[in-house]
Amino acid sequence: MPVRTPHFPDLLFGPAARLRKWEGALMGLLEDHGYRELHPSLVLRESLPDGTLRFFDGDELVALRWDFTVALAGLLARGFPTPPARVAYAGAVFRRPVQPWEAVERFEVGCERIQPEGEPSAEADLELARLLMAIPGVLGLKSAILHLGHAALVRRPLEAEGLFGDLADAVVAALSRRAPHRVKEALDGHPSAGRLTAHAEALLSELNGPTTLEALQASPYADLLKDERDHMDRALKALLPILPPNLELRVDLADVAGLGFYTGPTLRLWAPGAQQELAAGGRYDRLFPGLGRPWQAAGFCVRLSRLLDLADTRPDLFESPQ
Amino acid sequence: MSHRTLLIAFPKGRLGDELVPKLAGTPLALDAEALKSRVLRIPTATPNVAALLLKGADLPRYVAAGVAQLGIVGSDTLDEMDMDLLELADLGFGACRLSLCAQEGVTLEALRAKPHLRLATKFPKATEAWLGREGLTAELVPLSSSAELAPLLGLADAIVDLVQTGGTLKAHGLVETAVLGRSSARLVAARGAYLSEPGRIRPLADLLLGALKARV
Repeated sequence: MPVRTPHFPDLLFGPAARLRKWEGALMGLLEDHGYRELHPSLVLRESLPDGTLRFFDGDELVALRWDFTVALAGLLARGFPTPPARVAYAGAVFRRPVQPWEAVERFEVGCERIQPEGEPSAEADLELARLLMAIPGVLGLKSAILHLGHAALVRRPLEAEGLFGDLADAVVAALSRRAPHRVKEALDGHPSAGRLTAHAEALLSELNGPTTLEALQASPYADLLKDERDHMDRALKALLPILPPNLELRVDLADVAGLGFYTGPTLRLWAPGAQQELAAGGRYDRLFPGLGRPWQAAGFCVRLSRLLDLADTRPDLFESPQ
Repeated sequence: MSHRTLLIAFPKGRLGDELVPKLAGTPLALDAEALKSRVLRIPTATPNVAALLLKGADLPRYVAAGVAQLGIVGSDTLDEMDMDLLELADLGFGACRLSLCAQEGVTLEALRAKPHLRLATKFPKATEAWLGREGLTAELVPLSSSAELAPLLGLADAIVDLVQTGGTLKAHGLVETAVLGRSSARLVAARGAYLSEPGRIRPLADLLLGALKARV
């Protein structure tokens, strides 16, 4: 008999009601903005990476749905000649935890904004940011912080220096740890070491407010990243005047989480004192072309399991009694 | 414990022995009376900031889980554990080498030539990475302390361990045959605390860095 508790959360009355309420409220918000629900099957017969929960269905190896974006992409690429512009989803995904305290079953609500390749995407990025800005209010969070990043701030300099594979991974891991000294160690002896270390220091120099973008001027790649900087600057100018009360907008130049997936702006929602981000997303324009569809996409996912944990451990962060 | 109390995880042992005197007389000095007791949660000279005294191998877990907002730990431990936390600075002190050590007279070439090499270590990840770089294979004998005894008593052909002055090695008739890497104390932070409350955590990190810088 197993003696260690597997992390499949049973939700008793309070959390179960909270999950139902939040899921309904968030799906209502998305529906009000034109997002229509798709519900990909809980069982996936393709794309079985490490970390999925696999089992045999007869002779066939299958996995429980491990990621909505991937499951939806398969569904859309197979079944739609042109993409629906706005898609929403809600339900559970199952992943083996990386950290011992993480759950295997995770509840999520999210959305995707899909366009044919080549269409201007800036307005779609802003639409998603505005939606994410409304979410703390819907969930009853007293305050929250929205981090705005951009995957190209790291990817483009690495590509410009011809850095790929293990060395690029080491630089990204060092940036993920916010450790410029590790960037220097990883690149010891490489011709780009000085430039990329200076870039890392510029990316990590600030984490507060609109002036953060000015830190990019100190980077050796300031010219290379001019388009990205302008894009973020325009986003800040559009979002700051409509910032809801109790929501702070910050620029995080060193956001490298999911760098292999994201291609453009990234968004992360935090509550002060929360140990994990409560929602995350961004632009991922390589996903659909990889499935043979000339579409570009962006989206975000609200991690309801983390919010349930937060309501349990930090009820003081919410407006009404949780 | 109040959510407003900030906790810094300090290491016990070799690194802690170097750290605690450096903090004396600074705003983060540990309460001397509490230090003499067996208490593991120690007030500091700054209100609402307390220290946890933890074994190095446990410390990253406390920080990664957000129980402690900041911590100080050796980079060797960080590399072995690969926890999800931020590494804000290389503090410079506690510098040592991660070395392959064998009995005097046993060369690296002799170890390479062994058909079945056995290495005792508490650093399996770093050892495996080095073996991979060198194109070698070995049986790893996991130990958590007193690795120096292993070659003397035939438990292993050599050890991979931290070497600071070389005194312990010399006392056991061992010598360094290869340096696998270098380690020093690092200031680490809980990702969530640092990213969601930089206004609270950054000043504390700066206070700690300032206190240590003043004593270098």
